[in-house]
Amino acid sequence: MSPGSEKRLGIAWLILSAITLMSWWIGSNHGHALMRSAPVTFCVIALAAVKVRVVIMEFMEARHAPRLLRRITDAWLALLVVSLLVIYVLSRDGIRAG
Amino acid sequence: MTDAAATGSGATGGRVRYVPGQPDMWAFVLFEALIFSSYFIVYMIRRGSDPDLFLASQERLSPAFGVSNTLVLLLSSWLMARCVQASREKKYDVALGQVILVAICGLLFAGLKLFEWSREMGEGLRFSTNEFFSFYYFLTAIHLLHVLIGFVALGVAVYQLRSPLSRSQEIVETCATYWHMVDFLWVIIFALLYVMR
Repeated sequence: MSPGSEKRLGIAWLILSAITLMSWWIGSNHGHALMRSAPVTFCVIALAAVKVRVVIMEFMEARHAPRLLRRITDAWLALLVVSLLVIYVLSRDGIRAG
Repeated sequence: MTDAAATGSGATGGRVRYVPGQPDMWAFVLFEALIFSSYFIVYMIRRGSDPDLFLASQERLSPAFGVSNTLVLLLSSWLMARCVQASREKKYDVALGQVILVAICGLLFAGLKLFEWSREMGEGLRFSTNEFFSFYYFLTAIHLLHVLIGFVALGVAVYQLRSPLSRSQEIVETCATYWHMVDFLWVIIFALLYVMR
């Protein structure tokens, strides 16, 4: 394995693991009852989207793929994230959470 | 597919562009991504109709299990990506070692999931307890089914790496593409079931 690609994969894995721990910390109740929170939800879903994109681009090597494949995966991810957040905001969850 | 000429995509900006693995697997991955997206969207709509119930139920889950499972799957994905790189450089023994480690991570994931389910069921949290737990057991079970199918993909990769006469880099990459899909679907499930509020 070339040192360059090995290092790049290792960095991607460290970033993914760090984001996972960060989203756990953001979403945790820190000893209190869970409260609805739009900022927490937005952060957590955005961080999940970043992780999915890193997996697709780095581990699945879509960054080496023809542009069409990258556009399709990006479009799917963007559509999913926007749909989830719009539903959250339009539902009582978002309105009450402010 | 490492042969750029076979894809007809040629070089872009001096770099060879290629579809990793068989394009059919990418079509399958996109199909699965759309199916799971529909589950996630229905979950979000239902969650919005009774957010207090979903949040109170979510609080009964142990986020440590969710985090551990996420870290295990991310580790397995990293090892699988290293396996593809090693195989590409014809270091087949190294690649084989990586696939075995991926399988161990897969078993660890499945074991953790089963232990988590048994603990929750011991606390009386069943599929029929409420709508959150129906989604929870459905999403995590259908994902675990994909992990189990992933073991077939890992078996195919092992067979390829151990067979000098019929070895195919394209098939190893195809198996890896499937395994990574299992990983990124879990990343979204973790966010929606364990940490969003």
